[in-house]
Amino acid sequence: MDVSPLISIRRVTKRFPGVVALSDVSLDIPAGELHAIVGENGAGKSTLMKLLAGVIGSFEGELLLRGRPVRFADTRAAEAAGIGIIHQELNLVDELSAAANVFLGREKRTRLGLLDNRVMERSAAELLDQLECRVVPSERVKTLRVGDQQLVEIAKALSRETEILIMDEPTSALTESEVARLFRVIERLRARGVTILYISHKMDEVFRLADRITVLRDGRLVTTVPRADTDPRRITHLMVGREIESVQVAEHRVPGQPVLEVERLSLPWPGHARAWRLRDISFSLRRGEILGVAGLMGAGRTELLECLFGSSAEAYSGSIRLEGRQVRFRHPAEARRAGIALVTEDRKRLGLFDQMTVCQNITLCTLRQAAAGWLVSPARERRMAAETVGQLNVKTTGVDVPITSLSGGNQQKSIIGRWLRTRPKVLLLDDPTRGIDVGAKAEIYRLMDRLCRDGLAMIVTSSELPELLTVCDRILVICEGRLTGEFNRAEATEQRIMEAATLRSAG
Amino acid sequence: MSPMRPKAFPLGWLARSEAGLGLAVVAVVLLTLLFDQQRTYYYSPELSALDVLRHTSMLGIFALGAAIVIISGGIDLSAGSVIAFSGTICATLMVFLAPEAMQKAEPLGAGVTILAVGGTLVVGFLIGSLHAWLITVIGLPPFIATLATLVGLRSLARAVIENVTLHTFGARTTQIQIFDQQFRSLTTSVWLRAALFLTLAVAAWVLLSRTVVGRHLYALGGNEEATRLSGIRTDRLKWLAYALSAMLSSIAGIFYIGEQSVADPQTLARGYELNAIAAAVVGGCSLRGGIGTIPGTVLGCLFLRVVIDGIAKIIKTGADVYEGLIVGIVVVMAVALNQLRETSGRRKRFFEGPLGAVTVINLALLLGVLTTLVASPTSGQVAVLVGLACLALVKLFEAARARRAGS
Repeated sequence: MDVSPLISIRRVTKRFPGVVALSDVSLDIPAGELHAIVGENGAGKSTLMKLLAGVIGSFEGELLLRGRPVRFADTRAAEAAGIGIIHQELNLVDELSAAANVFLGREKRTRLGLLDNRVMERSAAELLDQLECRVVPSERVKTLRVGDQQLVEIAKALSRETEILIMDEPTSALTESEVARLFRVIERLRARGVTILYISHKMDEVFRLADRITVLRDGRLVTTVPRADTDPRRITHLMVGREIESVQVAEHRVPGQPVLEVERLSLPWPGHARAWRLRDISFSLRRGEILGVAGLMGAGRTELLECLFGSSAEAYSGSIRLEGRQVRFRHPAEARRAGIALVTEDRKRLGLFDQMTVCQNITLCTLRQAAAGWLVSPARERRMAAETVGQLNVKTTGVDVPITSLSGGNQQKSIIGRWLRTRPKVLLLDDPTRGIDVGAKAEIYRLMDRLCRDGLAMIVTSSELPELLTVCDRILVICEGRLTGEFNRAEATEQRIMEAATLRSAG
Repeated sequence: MSPMRPKAFPLGWLARSEAGLGLAVVAVVLLTLLFDQQRTYYYSPELSALDVLRHTSMLGIFALGAAIVIISGGIDLSAGSVIAFSGTICATLMVFLAPEAMQKAEPLGAGVTILAVGGTLVVGFLIGSLHAWLITVIGLPPFIATLATLVGLRSLARAVIENVTLHTFGARTTQIQIFDQQFRSLTTSVWLRAALFLTLAVAAWVLLSRTVVGRHLYALGGNEEATRLSGIRTDRLKWLAYALSAMLSSIAGIFYIGEQSVADPQTLARGYELNAIAAAVVGGCSLRGGIGTIPGTVLGCLFLRVVIDGIAKIIKTGADVYEGLIVGIVVVMAVALNQLRETSGRRKRFFEGPLGAVTVINLALLLGVLTTLVASPTSGQVAVLVGLACLALVKLFEAARARRAGS
């Protein structure tokens, strides 16, 4: 190779207080390649990308772009050099229009120096068209679906003549059809010669898209191999440093009596064309059963769980019976007391108290049990937390360390543990393995299986169908707020569920 | 995803911050000893200590409320006006209960005093409840809700006093004199207010650090939505926080009218809300909520008062002249130090670009003005020039360092 690579990372090390996030990583990426970077959570993938995108400015080692050493002080400098990044958590201004977001910081102006919305909207429309994104550029980003928001980010990157696009777990919040569209967009970007760095831990995506694959583990580069020379099994093995057995749970479980019966549940959606977030949903849930809820983003999965947990913004109609008794929760406090627990979808925003310790996060819902009279006994509280840590096998150096020092999977286990301490009858899990690595996922599946065999009733939603097929006894499918399918374990296939989930305006 | 920079463990951080504050208090006292030409601390240590204690206790009582609200993720801007309003209500209740005694400057009797004080505390609770209702039911941001009462209550207090004096005494005045000796001596006693402050501080400390409700207040401040979704009634917690805050201000109001022997809502406790917030913030409470402690807040109050007292001693001007300036500078320094400690990974450029250039001028001018006020106009001019030169050098040095790092 006489041509110098587009990006050259030379012996890069990045230390954070107490952690070496990247250790002596070297990597060359030629122009036009789609290079996948895989690894478990905490392997250093995101740190490496933040270095490239100028989010992190100081590190040891060298970064060469087109053969010249560079060091970006901030993201603007990286953008100027043609590097764009699509973060896992999108970086859009919710209240501005799609067009305004695309041109944020480089607004087009009229001759008078005022904003030229017409020109911006027209060019944004062109860009979005190329991305198969059918949104109106003047629409506020807040009202768009996550998949469309992501395309707005990509349009923003493209409008900057980005040559190198970094995508950090871009499919984690997308439905299958949106993923398919994203892959078409990626193919088109490649045809235009854009070099793509694709971070993921989903093997099917990586093997479908990548030219070469780099595996990181514990901040070290394990290997870089052409896709053709390897297979998913071997890569997974390299990622975790051990063999992952395929998880076999949910066999030979026998559900018991019904605990939760839902009849003709409807949730209004004021001011929206659909008028109903949920319409006429009926189902029942039995002890020792895991019920899956499948559906595209926006189908109403989360809203269904919110109704059951008493946290929905609007009042629902219909009836919910818990152990035969009619219930209507107006506040999560009432649901908790009645024995319903909800592990929320967005862990960082809705579940975690990141200024608190592992112990405080675990005991939050049941702190009263550690109190004698008015005062909380720190010793008893710590014993409670240690018990949960032991039972759920939470990997932590102690219960008094900050919860943020744990990996995503262990944070999630702590939150599940918080709710298990309330001794719920029904556990609602809203996309419980989002953003969690392979090894931790398997552990959570096994945990769910164990709880289920102990007689707990669970409802779980997921954006990944294989996950539901793995853990559920039964799967409900929701499309645009209506129940469009119900499959037991034997009948359920991805194909059938997708058909039901895309059944438009049934009934 | 990526290994996060490990955040310092909360208790460890607090220990450091509180130990630091304690040392800072000692340092300020030593500096005052050193630079005060009359050696007040040396010759009359007891009087000086009592004086600091008197002010710290008063500030502390309502700063506890500010801290509780800030830790729970809110802000209470109304303290100063609630103090003034409560003082007014206390005096008004005295006038209602014993109009003749109030007019003729006769003793009121314990019954009247107790009823007036009790009524004032109820009014404090009502004000806090109004804040909670505006915030949780109407949905106003805490800043707006308490800003409204900050401007509203003081003017209401004045209207009340003018009305009461006109109807009871036959002449419209803007203040009510308090003559009752017993009430005045009780509220002027340093020991009583110090003991009360200590009791309240310990109670607040236990509440926040050792009770379920306290933990829930921290949770509320850290992540409100997650707290609600944990089955915790966040609206009731806010009610508690704002009610406590207003009632603590009411207690301070009662003490202030006794100490000043007059209830004058136009001047009483003007701007004190910012002192309370400043004390809490200097003591380590984060305005983002969920972080802070009562011991920190108590030390924050002590630090603020010691600095104010020390500077008044050193430059021998009325303490109140520079009080606002000192509070402002102390708050900026305290929060900036915390901020810098968090971003210590990167080398910071303080005077980058055009804003840096203007800041160089800004700081040099400030230095000059201060030097002029304390010493003389000539030394002020020198200070401006020296300041300009030094800061410009720092700016150049930073730029050079950045260029070296960039290449």
